[in-house]
Amino acid sequence: MIASNEAKIRERVQQIETTPSIPGVFLPLLELLSVPAEDARVDEVVRLVSYDNTIAAQCLRVASSPLFGLAQAPKSIAGAVITLGLRRVETILLTCCMGQAFPAKKWVLDTGIFWRHSLGCAMVCRKFSEKLPSIDGEQAYMAGLLHDLGFVVNCMAFPKEFAPALELACREQIPLDQAEQASMGFTHCETGRALAEKWHLAKDMIEVIAHHHAPEESSAAQPLVALVHLSDLLCRVRSLGYGYYERQRVDLVHDPAWGILLKQYRELEGVDLVRFTFELDEAVGEICEMVSMVFGAAAVRT
Amino acid sequence: MIASTQIASAKPVHGKVSEPVDPVFRQVRDLVYKVSGIFQLEEKLYLLVDGCERRMKQLAVRSPREYWDLLTAHSSRDAELRQLLNELTIGETCLFRSQPQIDALRKVILPEIVAEKSKQIIKRLRIWSAGCSTGEESYTLAMNMLEESNGLLKGWTVEILATDLNDRSVETAKAGIYGDYALRSTTDYFKRKYFSPLDEKKLQVRPEVKKLVTFSRLNLQDDSKMLFMKGMDLVFCCNVLIYFDGPSKSKVIDHFFNNLNFGGYFFLGTSESLMKLNDKFHLVHFPGAIGYWKPSLKSGKL
Repeated sequence: MIASNEAKIRERVQQIETTPSIPGVFLPLLELLSVPAEDARVDEVVRLVSYDNTIAAQCLRVASSPLFGLAQAPKSIAGAVITLGLRRVETILLTCCMGQAFPAKKWVLDTGIFWRHSLGCAMVCRKFSEKLPSIDGEQAYMAGLLHDLGFVVNCMAFPKEFAPALELACREQIPLDQAEQASMGFTHCETGRALAEKWHLAKDMIEVIAHHHAPEESSAAQPLVALVHLSDLLCRVRSLGYGYYERQRVDLVHDPAWGILLKQYRELEGVDLVRFTFELDEAVGEICEMVSMVFGAAAVRT
Repeated sequence: MIASTQIASAKPVHGKVSEPVDPVFRQVRDLVYKVSGIFQLEEKLYLLVDGCERRMKQLAVRSPREYWDLLTAHSSRDAELRQLLNELTIGETCLFRSQPQIDALRKVILPEIVAEKSKQIIKRLRIWSAGCSTGEESYTLAMNMLEESNGLLKGWTVEILATDLNDRSVETAKAGIYGDYALRSTTDYFKRKYFSPLDEKKLQVRPEVKKLVTFSRLNLQDDSKMLFMKGMDLVFCCNVLIYFDGPSKSKVIDHFFNNLNFGGYFFLGTSESLMKLNDKFHLVHFPGAIGYWKPSLKSGKL
């Protein structure tokens, strides 16, 4: 990246602070989520949910939805948490926090599309990680959820520059990062990195945010970055992309990222990618429903 | 986990809680996938359950478990599995069955093939609809190629070879007469442009569409005839290989591979998988569609 761009991005990201601040539960939550599922503490999650009325109401609303088919809607936060399962609650929390931190009217990208892609990618990352021992599923999930943080920064700090880039991508049906590069001279990878550094996110997470379009350029956590790269590609060809037709042919097995993973995990050779894709399709409906429920309320609050 | 195949047993349909699916049906789903490569998505599992229940009724079998025994017992399994596959694919054919496949063809593949062949003197595109049944897929391809005839394919000759084992299907296909059910996914635009009304209920494909398609009878297992199907740019073979056993399937796929030009593509049905029966094809994803690519010579990836 050109030095002047880097300075410009840093300066604008600093100014993001003037927009509504991140809810207090956000950063403790990130920390809570970085532990494996079996070590996660339900009481801690319930406490965090109760901490914020709006988020608590959101959880109760999602838990009462027909999606879970309960005869009686849960009346307490603890009941909602048990109904939803820990992972869903975490997702709702994170999504609400981000929605709160970044006002909906400022989004250039459609928030629903953004979250469908992020949640989809998170889910694919975790599912992929099941095939790769030693990559932690929860870390992979988090990486998938946050990989496109830069788009949030683009919306908040570079709305005038980002809007034409998005328009170019939709018009030419090309990948969004290519359109950003052509139109702005930098991408969400750089802007996301600046915010991630400001938030002091874990090093691995910063690597993912900065290099998920070119995992071979990452200097640490390369397998995790490669995993996010492949999951991102798969989501974009299975109706969990950015909401427009990308004219592309994706060859996952011959992608350099696949090579990076294969070097460490021979297990990958046995993966039935077609079935994996069909199973992702099965999850699309639920992801969309989740997002519309979470965002139905998130839009009201801003 | 946001979405998983395990939680779907009590998945509601339109807000109503459906009956939990007997786990045996999920075993049947996996068996069908293993043997035929057809994957029944969770949201369409009811189709498989319906199919099994129809068969159970015909056979006077009382429980899913008893039916499972029939599907797995040495003496009855092949015949019964075939019957079940018939149930699963019945009424599946219609024109414009997979829009994502058509989009991939027109937006990604055609520009690529046209660019690749641009230096050849004879500009000819050859497509094979293998196992064309009553012609729905073949005519869909023909109409879409005609749509490109003033654009990408200007000055090109398009030949569509459509073959089926069944004489009666071939005759029906040649007539090109379709009712509402077969035309349920065809837009008014295509109906008006490429069909003539035959009577109140039926439409017939117009001569200019028919001109592109040559129908003939062919047994895909007839090795000597298969050798003559050379020079294809695209091969479509939808829900045909599911009936073949492993070794014959493998052999037919090898024929398809050999008959394709370098850089050509092979497509199966939308819920069908090649199941690693051929490692020379590259599995490639397009938005919403999966295909198999025969690497071009200059890609150096053969």
